[in-house]
Amino acid sequence: MKLYDSFRSALQSLVVNKLRSALTMLGVIIGVAAVIAMVSVGNGASQSVQNTILNLGSNLVTVQPQFGNDNGLKGAGAQAQNLTLDDMRSIQDQLGASIAAAEAEQQAGRWQVTAAGQNWNTQVSGVTEDYPIVRDWGVDSGEFFATSDLNVNAQVAVLGATTATNLFGDIDPVGQTIQLRQAFGGGGQGGGQQRARILNFRVVGVLGIKGSTFGFSRDDQILVPLTTAQHVLTGQLNRVSQIVVKATSSDTMELTTSDVNNILLQRHNIGDPANADFTVTNQNDTLAALSSVTGTFTLLLGAIGGISLLVGGIGIMNIMLVSVNERTREIGIRKAVGARRGDILNQFLIEAIALTGLGGVIGILLGWAITVVVHQIPQAASLPLLITSGTVIIAVGVSVAIGVVFGLYPAMRAARLHPIQALRYE
Amino acid sequence: MIQSVVQLRGVTKTYRIGREITVNALRGVDLDVRAAEFVAIMGPSGSGKSTLMNILGCLDVADGGTYILAGENVGKLSDGQLAGIRNKHVGFVFQTYNLLSRLNAIENVELPLIYGGDRKQRRERALAALEQVGLGDRIHHRPSELSGGQQQRVAIARALLNDPSMILADEPTGNLDSRSSAEILSIFQRLNDMGKTVVMVTHEPDVAAHCKRIVRMRDGLIARDELVPRPRRAEDELAVGIGAAE
Repeated sequence: MKLYDSFRSALQSLVVNKLRSALTMLGVIIGVAAVIAMVSVGNGASQSVQNTILNLGSNLVTVQPQFGNDNGLKGAGAQAQNLTLDDMRSIQDQLGASIAAAEAEQQAGRWQVTAAGQNWNTQVSGVTEDYPIVRDWGVDSGEFFATSDLNVNAQVAVLGATTATNLFGDIDPVGQTIQLRQAFGGGGQGGGQQRARILNFRVVGVLGIKGSTFGFSRDDQILVPLTTAQHVLTGQLNRVSQIVVKATSSDTMELTTSDVNNILLQRHNIGDPANADFTVTNQNDTLAALSSVTGTFTLLLGAIGGISLLVGGIGIMNIMLVSVNERTREIGIRKAVGARRGDILNQFLIEAIALTGLGGVIGILLGWAITVVVHQIPQAASLPLLITSGTVIIAVGVSVAIGVVFGLYPAMRAARLHPIQALRYE
Repeated sequence: MIQSVVQLRGVTKTYRIGREITVNALRGVDLDVRAAEFVAIMGPSGSGKSTLMNILGCLDVADGGTYILAGENVGKLSDGQLAGIRNKHVGFVFQTYNLLSRLNAIENVELPLIYGGDRKQRRERALAALEQVGLGDRIHHRPSELSGGQQQRVAIARALLNDPSMILADEPTGNLDSRSSAEILSIFQRLNDMGKTVVMVTHEPDVAAHCKRIVRMRDGLIARDELVPRPRRAEDELAVGIGAAE
């Protein structure tokens, strides 16, 4: 029997029992749709997390202080040293062209900012001149402050896009003056004792729009030269909160990580790396950790879909057994006119595969529709919804395989029927 | 010498019912059917005629003895080879027509060619077979849209399709009124006149009287095997209008 005829007769029998075929297919449709939708949402989530991480700048190696752990008291270590601007400069000097750039940062806390009669409260950070390179984040207007500004603790500032809009509206902030104000002592209204420091900063640039990371807007902040932050804002002269080194590429990140580690161990006179008073992490590690989390997430979602596929497959087997039983006489007739076991086996197997294959295709369309609908939900709008060709191929492959697996037993039962008994069957 | 289409020698068949009881359905049957014969097999129920029919049609194999069909010893063949023999050498006509209700007349007739033969000739040959049984104008009707006699004619067309060595009819008129029966018998007679070998199981002497030879079975053996001196012609009965008389 030619394959063409098998297909024709399989489709015919599916068309004859339209409702039954549709209901049987439903199991596979739901299963495939669930797999497609869940895996694509899962992939989208993982892509989104990855984008978020890379949004902070790419190929980054980050150094943060790690306080010694003495007698279980974190931060009590006498021998712990601060990370300093000199550490960063030393990394710059020693690694030179083998890294793309390096910068150091100090958080200066939240400040009340006034300009042009507007009032705003935002985060202020001290950073060094290569911040735009390291973070892949340049200024939209004006310019970023330079090394010369750091040398003289210049009171200049670069505003985040949101901060600029909130303070100046449509006015170009570059060249304008802002006032940073921090209340200390006393507290609350009517304290009388309250004093405030007021510092004038000249705006030299406005950063491009970056969006948010993990729900926090990165466009609402003010950057000032690190030395200015140390001397004027915080008074913590010999401390930076982190050093960020940008490797030349993803491939050199490991090397850069160990170079940075070695330089700092040497500078801090630490022999045993286990006693290091800083930690060096690179973005690859972070991405790997996160992608293993999102991978598990995607796998879990896929498994849920897989279970519905399994249930759908059992439905297929059930219906195929009923169908074989119902068509015993047909099988007898076909055998009488010369159908071989293989012919009957093929006929029922192809019928099962046609059911699941068609179910698979409809399931993919439904799954795709679901992901489009999910995309309409505001919270998920930023998720890139990925239906990869791989997902589609796997879904179709799996549904066809389910047809084979769950169709085989009924088809074998049909093929094994004895022609006489089959012909006599009422 | 006319060649034997069927040659049975000492064929036996035993059925086992449950664990204890065995039934000797055939107890050593010798039978020769030559080409262009028209044989009726008669006998009361339990005489073994159905078993003989199944073995002749290669739906079942004998336990003992030999069966040579169109020069081929079918006793030694595998399941798949038997299917091939059924396809090429045997054309079945059943009491209950056994058409596939989902398929229309011509698709039913084409069925044997699906399992052996050229796809290109299929439609052509099925059409020719349907015209031969006088149903050239009903090819797209489904079995449910045809009368019993018409359904049986579709079944005969199907049996003819692969130009088999023998047409094997099992009570072909059992479900039909006398006029339709006469029509069916006239088709068999016409085919036989053209040289087709027909073997027909029946329990009606009236029907058997249309055959050239009658084989009577009893208790798993052939009891009598005789030629019919002057077979009745179904065409004559149709002309007289036997159906109208009833």
